[in-house]
Amino acid sequence: MHIRHVRNELLGALQTVVGVVERRQTLPILSNVFLEARDAELVVRATDLEIEMEVSTPVQNLKPGKVTAPARKLYDILRGLSEGAEVSFEIAEEGRMLVRSGKSRFTLATLGAEEFPSLAGIQADTQVTLTHKALRSLIERVSFAMAQQDVRYYLNGMLLHIGPQWVRAVATDGHRLAMSELALETGVKEDLQIILPRKAVLELARLLDGGDAEVTLSIGGGQIQVQLLNLRITSKLIDGRFPDYERVIPDSQDRRVLGQREKVRAALSRAAILSNEKFRGVRLQLEPDLLRIQTQNPEREEAEEEVEVELDGEPMEIGFNVTYLLDALDAMKTENFVLELRGPDASGLLFEAGESTHSKYVVMPMRL
Amino acid sequence: MLGSVKMTTIKQLPEVLINQIKAGEVVERPAAVVKELVENALDAGARRVVVELEQGGLRRILVRDDGRGIPREELPLALARHATSKIASLDDLERVASLGFRGEALASILAVSRLSLSSRTAVEPHGWRLGGEGGLASAEPVPAAQAQGTAVEVLDLFFSTPARRKFMKSPGTEARHVETALRRLALARPDVAFALSHDGRRLLDVEPAEDAAANERRLAAVCGAEFLANAIYREAELGGLRLAGWIALPSFSRAQPDLQFLTVNGRGVRDRLLGAALRRAYADALHSTRHPAFVLALTLDPAAVDVNVHPQKTEVRFREAARVHDFLFGLVHRWLRELRPEPEHHHGVGFGSAAEPAREPQPYALPLSTAPRLGEPPGRYFAAPAASAPTWAGLAEVSRAAVPAPPGATSPVEHPLGYAVAQLHGIFILAQNARGLIVVDMHAAHERVLYERYKRELAEGGVPSQALLAPVLVNLPEDEAEAAETQSATLLAAGLQVDRSGPGQLLVRATPALLPSEAVVDLLRQVLGRSSDSGSHAHLGEVLDAQHRVLAEMACKAAIKANRVMSLSEMNALLRDMEQTELAGQCNHGRPTWVQVELAELDRLFLRGR
Repeated sequence: MHIRHVRNELLGALQTVVGVVERRQTLPILSNVFLEARDAELVVRATDLEIEMEVSTPVQNLKPGKVTAPARKLYDILRGLSEGAEVSFEIAEEGRMLVRSGKSRFTLATLGAEEFPSLAGIQADTQVTLTHKALRSLIERVSFAMAQQDVRYYLNGMLLHIGPQWVRAVATDGHRLAMSELALETGVKEDLQIILPRKAVLELARLLDGGDAEVTLSIGGGQIQVQLLNLRITSKLIDGRFPDYERVIPDSQDRRVLGQREKVRAALSRAAILSNEKFRGVRLQLEPDLLRIQTQNPEREEAEEEVEVELDGEPMEIGFNVTYLLDALDAMKTENFVLELRGPDASGLLFEAGESTHSKYVVMPMRL
Repeated sequence: MLGSVKMTTIKQLPEVLINQIKAGEVVERPAAVVKELVENALDAGARRVVVELEQGGLRRILVRDDGRGIPREELPLALARHATSKIASLDDLERVASLGFRGEALASILAVSRLSLSSRTAVEPHGWRLGGEGGLASAEPVPAAQAQGTAVEVLDLFFSTPARRKFMKSPGTEARHVETALRRLALARPDVAFALSHDGRRLLDVEPAEDAAANERRLAAVCGAEFLANAIYREAELGGLRLAGWIALPSFSRAQPDLQFLTVNGRGVRDRLLGAALRRAYADALHSTRHPAFVLALTLDPAAVDVNVHPQKTEVRFREAARVHDFLFGLVHRWLRELRPEPEHHHGVGFGSAAEPAREPQPYALPLSTAPRLGEPPGRYFAAPAASAPTWAGLAEVSRAAVPAPPGATSPVEHPLGYAVAQLHGIFILAQNARGLIVVDMHAAHERVLYERYKRELAEGGVPSQALLAPVLVNLPEDEAEAAETQSATLLAAGLQVDRSGPGQLLVRATPALLPSEAVVDLLRQVLGRSSDSGSHAHLGEVLDAQHRVLAEMACKAAIKANRVMSLSEMNALLRDMEQTELAGQCNHGRPTWVQVELAELDRLFLRGR
């Protein structure tokens, strides 16, 4: 293999895939990136056995061939070279890869390209097409609620529930839940539920732009594949049963608070400074036309904020983890929001006020 | 070889073999023989017990007392199995107050050794002996020279059971075991004189303690002067339970649990439940690998204890196990927490020669129960139990709510920890008080101050609890689910809301906000499992303990670190905080936070005043 190309393009390709390479590896080849020169392209592929990303970029192909080289190091080298410099990759003696640019020379150790693992080609049973913007919005509105390294492995990801008329994204960590719905003629006959692993969700969020270009999700055989221009993401799905989210979302509550999202958000984040750093408890006192926010930390420091809101229903007091409230408010876009409550021991429901958007946020209370 | 067991007929075992099997339960080593014989002596009202050993007791054991003695005609019966004068009916067994009651000891020892029994009652002109050279239980007693009381001589222990004999350790080791056993008995009965010699060498010799001072001397002889110098005496009584004895300061911890003497109605026991109660009481102040030291006597109605659990009677069972646990834990926990810095009672650093006991004879003259320590308002320790309502929940509350005295109230004259003079290497605070130099590890001290404050906040403000979106189902044994249901209020107070949803099923609805919720299910299983093992709900407190560990981590992170420059006023403020903080002598990991260096020790360093 011998290719030549400008540094920026090569760096861009590597940057796209290097995120899936785990820093610590027991399987040495997984810290490498797969490189193949074919036709007028360089294919760059990285995997952690759960997710695989493959990007292709046009290059000057002097000699076809394939190899794997240390991903991080190659990425760092490219990053350190000056912009616009011309770089060449070449397989040299003893299976080493020579990286050259101007007066710089790097010889990298390689491993055989044949042994590089690949997620088997996907058998797509279902295909759903939607815009970049719509998919990105679904992810952005719920991904913060995904669990992280929870023993309930099915929570460490995002549920995509695909019905004939809509697609829903749902995430929960057991204490709060986020759900967003997109109206779409999906073409599926029966409801389909899949759980995307956390890493795939985060990579997708990073790579999707906000445009109207279309993106197709191919689902089948316990895998999902997303094709984005010259980039292909393949991920295994989490094999598990996601909790019945529809049962958790309360339908009617007897207290309704209408507030200005930005004002309440700012007041909560100020009050959060003096909440207990471990469990971030905040006390909400609802009075007619007034929301009082109180926090206290172990040093006995206290914060109190008052924000004007409209309360429909009886006054009450309730405690929450302030992070859960802030995450939900941050994910919203509208000027006003609604918080619906039933009592101090029951869940709170947040959603955007006004035009009927389809995102809902359920937050469980904290007894303080 | 299980497969090669021969098929044989069932037959009744010969009497000799039965006795030897039974003896295996009671007398496993010389120390057990001594324990049984000395307990007999004590039950006979002995004022003085003498034990002589040869070759670790394997060659010869002699136990002589000055008790009531056994009449001539009862001597043969005394050696028969299940013959005793201590109980006569089931009713007696249920409220047994003597140490022995099984009527087995002498028969068991007889089965595995050559035993002779000599005794003389007050009304007999001379003593009688049974056994001895070639003598058996069936033989007639012969006249013998014997003072009033009983002497039992055991020769060639385990001569008839060579297998057991092979399990014996060296004579020195066996003698040490005997010594430990006798120390336990001596601690339980301060009114009796004990002497022990091994191959002619004196190992223990204590006189009866007529008064408190003598009692402390005995304690020093049995447990060492260092223990006494680092222990405090406390006693309290509540609702028919009485606890009295010495608890060592947490700074005087041991690598082995070798200084733990607990008696229940005068009987030395090693009880798991009570051991757990004491460990928990010390938990906050000791590193998990260290063991507390204590000499405690628990007294309660004999009918509330079942001692007939184990042939060696080292285990007991309580009618109200949880109540006894809470009593013991609550009291010791409070006693430890009431300690405030008292330089007079703190371990010195000992520059080489400071090892001699710090105590002079004079303080012994004070009646123990009211002996006030320097700087303590009298009566502070003992007022609480009498005044508080006799409820068991109340006991724990008293200890939690123990609010530090306002500044100055502890000592109107001088602050025990003195005044800061300098900071050393950004790690230590140097302060001076009337007795000399105080060195404080500022991180460790601050950590403890913060930790206690965090815990108080948690207790006062209620334990925060995070509700779960969907309850988590936990499958458990039925008795554990039952326990969780009946104790759900206790669990809720610790932030854990559970409902029973089936015979062996619980729904966890809310978890303590301080703990990661997935860890809570494991914790719940653990505490319920342990509670059902010990038959008490006392372990449920561990749900709170787990949260305290999180607070301890927070305190460690928030405490000032090394190389933080402190002004004198900051250092003085920390010293004042320490004086009012519970367990201020140890950081959360059990390391000491401060030491006193006496002026006298400094003088010695410079050869002054010689």
